[in-house]
Amino acid sequence: MSLINMTLIVYVIASVAYIAREVWRSGSTRWVSLGLLILAFCLNLAMVIKRSVEAGHPPFSNLYESLIFYACCTAFVYIIFEFIYNFRVVGALASVLAMLILLYATLQDDSIRPIMPALKSNWMLVHVVTYMLGYAAFGISFVTSIIFLVVKPFAKKETKAVVDEREILPRNFDKLSYKIVAFGFPFLTLGMVTGAVWAKKAWGDYWSWDPKETWSLITWLAYLVYLHTPLILPKMNVNKSKASVILACWLLFAFGIVNFTFVGLNYLPSAADSEHIYGSQ
Amino acid sequence: MIAEAKDSKKKPNQISIHQSERRDSNKVWDFFCSVKLAVVIILVLVVACILGTVILQGKTLDEYTAKYGYALATFFRITELTNVFYSYWFAFLLVLLCANLICCTIKRWRNTFMQTGFVLTHLSLILILIGGVVKFQLGVKGGVNVYEGKSVNYFLTQMINRQGKLDYIKKDLPFTIALDDFILEKNEPKFQLVSYIKDKDRQKILEVKVGQKQRVPGSGYKVTIKDYIPDAELKQEPINTSDTPDNPAIFVKLLDSDKVTAEGWLLAHDRNYYEDKKQNLRIEYIWLPSQEELEKAVSSIETARPKVSVMVSAQGLSQDYPMEFNKTFKLEGTEYSLRMLQYVLNYGDRRPLSEQPTDNPAVQVEINGPEGSETRWVFEKFPDWDKMHPAKYKNLKVTCSGITSGHMARNTIRLFQLPDGKQVMVSIKDNHIVSTIPWELEKKYTITDMSRQLMVSNYFPSFDFKREVIKKSDEVGVPAIFVEVDGPSGKVDDWLFSNQQYATWYTDNNLALVYESTGESVKHFTSKLRIEEDGQTVAEKTIRVNDPLTHKGYVIYQSSYDPEAGTFSGLQIVKDPGIPIVYSGFGALCFGVVFIFYIKPFLRKKQKKRGGGIMK
Ligand code: HEM
Repeated sequence: MSLINMTLIVYVIASVAYIAREVWRSGSTRWVSLGLLILAFCLNLAMVIKRSVEAGHPPFSNLYESLIFYACCTAFVYIIFEFIYNFRVVGALASVLAMLILLYATLQDDSIRPIMPALKSNWMLVHVVTYMLGYAAFGISFVTSIIFLVVKPFAKKETKAVVDEREILPRNFDKLSYKIVAFGFPFLTLGMVTGAVWAKKAWGDYWSWDPKETWSLITWLAYLVYLHTPLILPKMNVNKSKASVILACWLLFAFGIVNFTFVGLNYLPSAADSEHIYGSQ
Repeated sequence: MIAEAKDSKKKPNQISIHQSERRDSNKVWDFFCSVKLAVVIILVLVVACILGTVILQGKTLDEYTAKYGYALATFFRITELTNVFYSYWFAFLLVLLCANLICCTIKRWRNTFMQTGFVLTHLSLILILIGGVVKFQLGVKGGVNVYEGKSVNYFLTQMINRQGKLDYIKKDLPFTIALDDFILEKNEPKFQLVSYIKDKDRQKILEVKVGQKQRVPGSGYKVTIKDYIPDAELKQEPINTSDTPDNPAIFVKLLDSDKVTAEGWLLAHDRNYYEDKKQNLRIEYIWLPSQEELEKAVSSIETARPKVSVMVSAQGLSQDYPMEFNKTFKLEGTEYSLRMLQYVLNYGDRRPLSEQPTDNPAVQVEINGPEGSETRWVFEKFPDWDKMHPAKYKNLKVTCSGITSGHMARNTIRLFQLPDGKQVMVSIKDNHIVSTIPWELEKKYTITDMSRQLMVSNYFPSFDFKREVIKKSDEVGVPAIFVEVDGPSGKVDDWLFSNQQYATWYTDNNLALVYESTGESVKHFTSKLRIEEDGQTVAEKTIRVNDPLTHKGYVIYQSSYDPEAGTFSGLQIVKDPGIPIVYSGFGALCFGVVFIFYIKPFLRKKQKKRGGGIMK
């Protein structure tokens, strides 16, 4: 079996294990599901490394390579959060998300092409790695927002016993989402700044309103709005419960923008003029 | 919150005029301090950015009119939607944002350590915006192409003028740039094996690894590469396999006073004519089964009729039809019928037939069958065209041949031959038979009215090629692979050459393989530049993408090159005095966000643990 198929399958099994853990709620299943996800992550990382060795350059030169790396980062960021916080179900959806990203990668052209001169830069390395970590965090906040919105109507009736006191209940996932975005936002900022510095070195201008640049600014602004909105909603007579729903919805929307910036720009009429967008062949 | 506190402290009996003034200025101040304004501005900026990528930017008026129509194009121009990011209203938004940032930062300024991040991020954005203004006002950006060994002391900037037309403005440089050398380095060519499955319309790149059996994804075919030659050549040596005339062929030479001007094999059943358009000469080799046919043929000036042949692959049938138009041919033993609609000598050529060169002859046919009718073009030179392209009746392969032979040259020589060894040569000039004589091997015959002579020097009753693949060198030249395909009709093997023009099909006509070059790609391009002032060299550097030269505030980048001859180097020249400001902003921004979201929470946690007083 190819490495990519194996990774996909382990992601699926990890997801099932997380659901099982949610159903049985026993302490030991936690380590099974987490262990499986770590295994999937390692396989995914092996793919990234294998690819870099085969291609002879860092694995971000085309959409296929970037997607594999993105899936890897998603698993990585989730695992970090699982070590910091003790929360439920998120792992099931996080591994599905990583799996979907990888599945999307299989639809792309996976041939190895020599990289163009402009991509040979250390700034590019930092730029892509920080961006992918930021995007991965936003992916996890997308997952927590979905769970929050689904659980919200039933939140009051929740009576299940809590296994671990430190466990964050889904009805508090609004705060968790904020923390995850707060984790990812500095990475997004660093990604944007290093991208600008790299563009200056390679093309002579740190900002030229290229569609990719513009959309990464839109992404950044969308999360900036998210980070500032909690300051104004109370003043606008929006009650806490409503505010949390609005913010969760905004995160779903913002993650849509992230994905459009990442893979959707080919649909823009201005894409043809851009030096930046992954080729559509 | 602070504003509210101030208000509540005010005494109610203050003089009213002053109070209302205070209130008004407070209102303005509060407005500029509010996060609400910040969020609204950011949202408007987001919408502006989206518009700026959905509507094409910085094009000429003509281009807009062509794309959006006159009314919309005019509207876009008036509202500056054609240049969103450099428009007055966008600048206004940024100024508003700046004011908002300054006000809110001043208002909340507490000068405590914990606020470092908040202050830094907000100030950094102001710095970046100021740097942007400096760039816009004092910076220049343009380009120039320099030829090897030449120098320039100017560059050109591009802009859309008031009339909506593209303008180039020449800017002088305070120095001269000389290009001493330009080097274009290319990557070694790479080769790939591509598989194509027709019924799934699926293309996939296979690994080129000798000895390993691999599945073609999504199908049952297995492909094994059995051999690889980095620089291969296909030697095809004509041989005669037997004395029974299975595939008769003659070797014909054209001579001009004993010097050979053209020579080659003519095959009776295949490539049976030679044409020299310049001399208006045509030589045909015609194999006839009997004496009666010969008698008929030698007295006729009729040209050989082009034919269309149809192969029904499912039933293994094959039938030939003469090219006759608007006549329906029934395909015997099948439910199909065929009709020929028209022919051309050069597909896609709009000129009348008589003026078309015979570059890409094709016939248009209509096939009628149980699923209705289908029309397709059939190309003489691309017999596999219909296999590669979706068609209704996929199992019907239609080919054509001899379309060009329908045209009679001024001088036509026909070499007839019978199984019993009888050989007759007929010369036709301007549609008249000039002579009819027997011909023999190794004898020269003069062609009427021409200085040329004709000689048939060899005859193979059963012509074939002895194919041999040889290795020319160890370096990568024209690589070839020997591939075995295992599929529903068993194992088949063949050599695939990377310079082969057509795909190689497996016997079931469903799997095709192509071994091809992925094209040469550019590895590096570098320019050896020298900066001169008053005839003196003051700086020197070899620049490449990602590694520019800086002189007197101008940064010179390698941006492009002459794609055809590779003789000029495209330089981009940028001057931006705002860079230090912007980069300070970048630094402050990065440190600020890291402080707010990592350092501050960390410090908070530590404080809590110690149970100490809370720092604001
Ligand atoms: C990297 C970008 C930014 C970051 C990290 C950031 C962060 C913050 C933080 C942490 C606060 C809360 C300060 C506190 O509670 O003491 C704040 C407040 C504020 N921010 Fe930003 N900000 C950013 C960009 C902006 C921008 C672009 C604007 C737009 C004008 C803006 C407008 C405001 C305003 C008006 C406040 C005041 C809130 C209040 O009065 O309570 N910020 N910002």
